[in-house]
Amino acid sequence: MSALNGFEPKIVAYVCNWCTYLGADLAGTARLEYPANVRIIRLPCTGRIDTNLVVKALEIGADAVLVSGCHPGDCHYSAGNYHARRRWILFRELLEVVGFDTRRLHFTWISAAEGRKFQQVITEITEQTRALGPYRPYESPALPPREDGAARPAGVLEKNFEESRRELREAARRLLEEGRVKVVIGYGARGPVFITKPEETGRLEWNANCLGNLTVYLKRPEVRALGAAAVVVKGCDERALVVLEKESQLRRDELQVIGLACEGLGQAKCEACETHRPSFADITIGNTAAQGATAAARYAELERFLERPREERLAYWTAEFDRCLKCYACRQVCPMCYCERCLADKNRPQAIDTSTHRKGNFAWQLSRAIHLAGRCVGCDECTRACPAGIDLRLLNLSLARAAEIQFDYRAGMDPAREPVVGAYSLQDKEEFIR
Amino acid sequence: MSQRVSKEELRQRAEAWIEAGKMVAGPVRVKAGTVLYAPLPTADALLLDGWIRPANSIKEFVFPRHEVLYGYSVGAAGITLHETEPEPREQVIVGAHPCDAAALPILDKLFNWDYRDDFYNRRREATTVVTLACAVHDEECFCTSVGLGPAAERGSDVMLFDARDGAYEVRCLTEKGAALWGSDVERAPANKPMEAAGPERRFEPAEVAAFAKEHFEDPFWHEHALACLGCGACAYTCPVCHCFDIVDEGNARCGVRARNWDACQFALFTAHASGHNPRPAQGARQRQRIYHKFLMYPEKFGEILCTGCGNCARICPVGLGVLPVVKEICHAESV
Amino acid sequence: MEVIDVRQHTADVKSVRLRFKDAGRAKEFGFRVGQFGVFSAFGWGESTFNICSSSTWHDHIEFCFRKVGRVTDALWEAGEGDTLGFRGPYGNGYPTNDWRGKDLIFLGGGIAMPPIRCAIWYALENRADYGTITIVYGARTVGDLVYRDELALWAGHPRVRVIECVDPGGQTHDWKGEIGFVPTVFERAQVPAENAVALVIGPPIMIKNTIPVLERLGAKMSNVYTSLENRMKCGIGKCGRCNAGPAYVCKDGPVFTFEVLRQMPMDY
Repeated sequence: MSALNGFEPKIVAYVCNWCTYLGADLAGTARLEYPANVRIIRLPCTGRIDTNLVVKALEIGADAVLVSGCHPGDCHYSAGNYHARRRWILFRELLEVVGFDTRRLHFTWISAAEGRKFQQVITEITEQTRALGPYRPYESPALPPREDGAARPAGVLEKNFEESRRELREAARRLLEEGRVKVVIGYGARGPVFITKPEETGRLEWNANCLGNLTVYLKRPEVRALGAAAVVVKGCDERALVVLEKESQLRRDELQVIGLACEGLGQAKCEACETHRPSFADITIGNTAAQGATAAARYAELERFLERPREERLAYWTAEFDRCLKCYACRQVCPMCYCERCLADKNRPQAIDTSTHRKGNFAWQLSRAIHLAGRCVGCDECTRACPAGIDLRLLNLSLARAAEIQFDYRAGMDPAREPVVGAYSLQDKEEFIR
Repeated sequence: MSQRVSKEELRQRAEAWIEAGKMVAGPVRVKAGTVLYAPLPTADALLLDGWIRPANSIKEFVFPRHEVLYGYSVGAAGITLHETEPEPREQVIVGAHPCDAAALPILDKLFNWDYRDDFYNRRREATTVVTLACAVHDEECFCTSVGLGPAAERGSDVMLFDARDGAYEVRCLTEKGAALWGSDVERAPANKPMEAAGPERRFEPAEVAAFAKEHFEDPFWHEHALACLGCGACAYTCPVCHCFDIVDEGNARCGVRARNWDACQFALFTAHASGHNPRPAQGARQRQRIYHKFLMYPEKFGEILCTGCGNCARICPVGLGVLPVVKEICHAESV
Repeated sequence: MEVIDVRQHTADVKSVRLRFKDAGRAKEFGFRVGQFGVFSAFGWGESTFNICSSSTWHDHIEFCFRKVGRVTDALWEAGEGDTLGFRGPYGNGYPTNDWRGKDLIFLGGGIAMPPIRCAIWYALENRADYGTITIVYGARTVGDLVYRDELALWAGHPRVRVIECVDPGGQTHDWKGEIGFVPTVFERAQVPAENAVALVIGPPIMIKNTIPVLERLGAKMSNVYTSLENRMKCGIGKCGRCNAGPAYVCKDGPVFTFEVLRQMPMDY
């Protein structure tokens, strides 16, 4: 079909300087012809190839993208390609869920001696892409709004908050009186409160409205300026502390953690919660008989979603992302988004367009999701904060599921585990890499 | 003489407008739990009740989130600029709230002082607003504190009052509204039909303005902004917040210059290239919000830059928003 | 507009001269010294700079910038014949009519010379309207001084006194000017200020220390001016970025007297 129409696919190849680029060079000097459809972009190492570069290629009209580098064990920088491999495993999962056509995304190891392999790979990719036709993911129709799907059940288990509330206030008062902390970050009547005086601990609340993840304040400069802190966490919030400590963002011994046992506050995440009682707090208040959930329960929603055809998935996310306002509420509420300057705010170069057109919104949403891969603890604050009701929970679940299935890793559950991104294994699966 | 229209007839009218090629927008349940003003794919999507108000506002129909100002292309003859905006389609907003409609005359002042912003004016001209007077409110609503109310008419071309029997009473308030409805202009009668009691007045705007003026350097702002995380959700869901950025997007051959929404709550909003930032702390940025809404805009344009819709407080993940902050101000003043 | 000249002043400061490509446009265009424009490199963005040439010159306009970010990086690459974008003039400008008959004192630091330069040239072009002219200009080091050749030119004009200075430690071995911060050097010069209008532009610390000196020398704050440099975007009072308290710097300013500035909150 496409050949008749004279469709010439545009392929963007991000290649590493030390292997694949020299392999391509070798193909040239050995006069091994390969299609001119490929635009080669040379970077020092596959480890440097940010996933938003892949997205950028699609934004500017590539019909397929190749990422290629040194064979495992041969990386000029020792381990760049191992890091890249791990990142690609997660990224492909994300793109699958979002409904991108992963047949358009190719990964290979091509060494400096493999000029022929380079020729073969480019030729095959070009032919495959020609058969698939032009790729226009940003022109997908958006799924129209539907009335179906009931709002999430708001049931809150019958519980007695009162006793825990008393204990909480008492614990906070003691910490302040003894001078062990200068500020207690806790829930107030309407939102977070920052209690600096023992006589004000009566403002601390514990009830069904205590939804925020207060660990986000541990990196805010205005809060840090108040001095040594105690932070009130539910089990879901506590996971963020585990990740933050792992990433050297806080000194656990400089922080007092007041944990609250929680049976659920009626949020979607509560249905599959297994951290009803914080495990790593200095002071743990309350008890709960609630049980943990299974992996099946954790990802049930996502599994159901993945049964939908790819075009419908893309139409769904197109509708979701079209509503994005770039308010960055999702980023600001996230304890893991602690960069002093976010990639989205960088303009030399403008890696992620600030505009709310489709490409700009996809770029942001995909970047945010992948930057949280293996780090997001599923507190769902981003979902709650989003004024446009974007299904961030489902997006985050995709990467959480990928991390668990591929690497048996769940962010924030076990302080002893090495993180997923930032670490790698020589055994990481690479059946998708040629 | 008052007209009536049933909900069914209203939908039929909306369908007719859609078929006539107009862009018709109204409250839509985009998914469970989220109601937004959005273009109606069909009149069936129009949501007329069962909610307080959409989480966004109608400003995006006259002041889009992303608006191309002009394009540029580089060729042999140098750089050429291209007007890219075609005449906007006629637009009808059905089911606006009084607190959204009133935003338009408030914004008109800014977009037309000294320099007339025709990007805005063209869309404004092409927009007819059919407002539903409010029958219910929640504890975040405070329109009555800023000079509005559940049946306030400012900015509306047609006003519908819920007669609570499945129909609305109709008043065409302007020529534009009358032309759309196919009726005559009617100023509202002395007693508004079916006017619901709005929220009670919570504060005096003048007192907020006075506080902002006299307490610019007060630590109050920093204490009360500790919870603020510096996102733009409040500004973007606000019917009258209008700050924007201008960006170039493109490459060496061609591209566009566009304006995008921006918000004073972002840390980098006022940051200078030299590194100096006049508002380096979130407290200063929170102060700016109140200052702009209750002191600066009224002094410059005679309008409070707030319609009391409560969107900011409803969406704020940490419980801030204009009314919560103003309550703290009143509390601070009374102590 | 077309670039007709580019001068590099320091390692990271250039000034660019532009003229309208369209002769008709050039004829219609006029501005008041002290106004600013929004200059752009297409595809990179827009940035606001003072128009640092005199309004009495009709064949070109000039702006001067430091290379610090995305847009200025792109402007840095502009050469003769290139096209840059310009819109303006914006802002209130210097009330040069009010300054007639007065002595003029110009005090500037570092990259703040360009917005003063336009006023100096304007005054020299209308020499009879103004009294004595004193210029005290300093920078951290000799390498940071801009428009040095013009400073020499100005010194050659009648009743014009030019004092250049660098911060202690910023001098080279052959430096012939003063050593010291601008406020200190200015005070040493003991310029009478009762009948003077002063234009003071520079980093906040310089301004903070210069104002008391001016007061000691008899200046009235309603006759002391500065040009604020808040971050601006639209230039026309719409985008909401540049307000300092109740004033839009782009429309109510950027030129303010210190009498007015003192009543404005510290929002700049």
